[in-house]
Amino acid sequence: MPAAVIDAKLHPVMLYIMIALLALVADVPRAVAQQSATAKATPSSLDVPQLFAGTCGWCHSDAGRSPGKGPQLMNSPRSDEYIRMRIKLGKEGAMPAFGTTFSDADIDAIIKYIRSLKPEHG
Amino acid sequence: MHKMRQGFAIGMVLAIGTTLSGTPGAAQPVDTARIAAGSPNDWLTYHGAYNGWNYSGLDQINATTVKDLGVAWIHVPGRSTRGLQSVPLVADGVLYYTGSYSRVFALNAATGALIWSYFPELDDTLVARQTHSPYNRGVALGQGKAFVGTVDGHLIALDMKSGKVAWDTKLQDSQKLTVGFTGAPLYAKGTVVIGSQGGEWPGRGPIYAVDAETGKVKWTFITVAPTEDTKKTWGNDSWRTGGGGGWMPGTYDGASNTVYWGTANPAPLYDWSGADWKTAGARPGENLYTTSVIGLDLDTGNLKFYHQELPHDGWDFDSAVGEFVSIDRDGQKYIVHPNKSGYIFVYDQNLKVKNVYPIVTNINFVKSINPQTGELIGRRDFSAGKQAEPLCPSINGGISWNSGSYNPRSGLYYKIGNEWCMTLDVTKTTPVTEPVAQLNIGANFKLVAPPDGPIYGHLDARDPITGAKKWEVRFPEPPMASVLSTAGNLVFVPDSRGIIHAYNAETGAELWNHSDGLGHQGGIVSYAVDGKQYIAVVAGFGGMVSDDFAPTFGEPYKSMPRDDGVLVVYSLK
Repeated sequence: MPAAVIDAKLHPVMLYIMIALLALVADVPRAVAQQSATAKATPSSLDVPQLFAGTCGWCHSDAGRSPGKGPQLMNSPRSDEYIRMRIKLGKEGAMPAFGTTFSDADIDAIIKYIRSLKPEHG
Repeated sequence: MHKMRQGFAIGMVLAIGTTLSGTPGAAQPVDTARIAAGSPNDWLTYHGAYNGWNYSGLDQINATTVKDLGVAWIHVPGRSTRGLQSVPLVADGVLYYTGSYSRVFALNAATGALIWSYFPELDDTLVARQTHSPYNRGVALGQGKAFVGTVDGHLIALDMKSGKVAWDTKLQDSQKLTVGFTGAPLYAKGTVVIGSQGGEWPGRGPIYAVDAETGKVKWTFITVAPTEDTKKTWGNDSWRTGGGGGWMPGTYDGASNTVYWGTANPAPLYDWSGADWKTAGARPGENLYTTSVIGLDLDTGNLKFYHQELPHDGWDFDSAVGEFVSIDRDGQKYIVHPNKSGYIFVYDQNLKVKNVYPIVTNINFVKSINPQTGELIGRRDFSAGKQAEPLCPSINGGISWNSGSYNPRSGLYYKIGNEWCMTLDVTKTTPVTEPVAQLNIGANFKLVAPPDGPIYGHLDARDPITGAKKWEVRFPEPPMASVLSTAGNLVFVPDSRGIIHAYNAETGAELWNHSDGLGHQGGIVSYAVDGKQYIAVVAGFGGMVSDDFAPTFGEPYKSMPRDDGVLVVYSLK
């Protein structure tokens, strides 16, 4: 946000909050980039089907095959990059941010799992 | 452990009209005796009084006058991520309630005018990592303070008159555990008790007791394997995967100085042990003290007695509902406690089972529960793999976490039951013991209708001890909010679509309804100021159960905001 849009009449406390928020937002890409740099060196050992049964599946029903609290992931029209950023940053009040939990390689594995999802038969 | 934290208390302390009864400062302090007595003009603790009735003794609004009920005032707290889930408290003409992010408001209970507000400065990066966040379910009052827990593990005391922080104690390492406090605290006899979140995480579900004056920790009760003996009920050191959070407020009995509390399920939620759950699977054994009701000495935290409602709970039907309804009948004191499975347990004061009855039709995790002993009969313990028959009720519970109501005039207990099931594919997992924002569920599933018809919810009016049903009202979607009954022969049900209904408490006939514009999933209370009765209800949808409504039921839930909320207060026109 350009400094010019900050109303000069804002209370100092509000100004402090806004500056703190700007700093926080500015830090996010840096933190993600730092993590990516270290993560790329380590291949993922994540068992994604287990991850869905342990965590993701509560909201992405049927291991991601059906809509639930969260959207259906099978045949998702979203791009890989969109899904990657949503996993990292989360969505307030809907999805936790996993950017400090999973490496880029882990997220690659999650996206690969999502793209491989097929309907279950029987 | 005990530090002051910066927050934003807006100390407006507006002048309140002197005609108000109970002007702040003029009244007696809120203490244990007042909470136990349950004055009808106030609503001093989560369930109204320690008796757990969720009942108002006021009758100005009654079966005859309710047709003239209209909105007196509203309050919009803002930033209501996942709606509003709290129970307002009222003391001496001031209403205290919380919104998401543990924002606390003190309002003139007659006009809605702001007296003060307090917005704690939370650890935002932690909140972003949490699954069950950032909603809050209310404050406790006592000794001139309002107490609130936060999702980043703090318990904070605010001066009731000014909103200024009296003390701020960090109880839990939420950075490590990724869970904190969403439930309201309980105040009793100089002590504030609060339970941690945690059924799905590798925590050990502590319940904390804190000195109300100083904020110093008095005791901590670990609900998951607190002793060497109880560790034996968790084979293969599986107590490390934990669970068992006491995430909703319990209650207090002054005569025995006992805190009654309910605990959550163990983790992983779904075990693959099959019938050999005592020796095989993810967590062999009974898993004490998860899915249990416990009685603790208020002064020491020592366990006095307990009953594990579902030994080795493999269904996520926890006992954390903090509703302990005390009823005296024929010289015997009973405590009625709902379990998430859809069964109501009736105990004596020492938590010895006196009766068990279901209020939900679609139950198949057991064939029945022995009403004399509480023993589960015909348990359905899963092996790994897709289960041929859906599990009923679903993970959302035959009974959800909000409260029913006992009305001493009608002698009836009004309680919501939910009819829904889910497919289940139990999956062997390596349970997470290092919390990194991951849960231990152990299955994939999908909400489905019961075998014999659509999903629905119902308000039952029952004898609380025998379970005999007098009448029932059905709803196309399960109502998620608390229920209020009053001396005016009324039962209020705020439903999920956003309509608040008033029923005749004796017959179940609907007498009045009104739209609050947003689904309800929090508290409803009644109080009086200057001789005028009010009904206060929070509206605002979203959260771990209500987020299922849009994909399951479509409209109006698809377009209903899940980041909005309003406190609506009614009185007679």
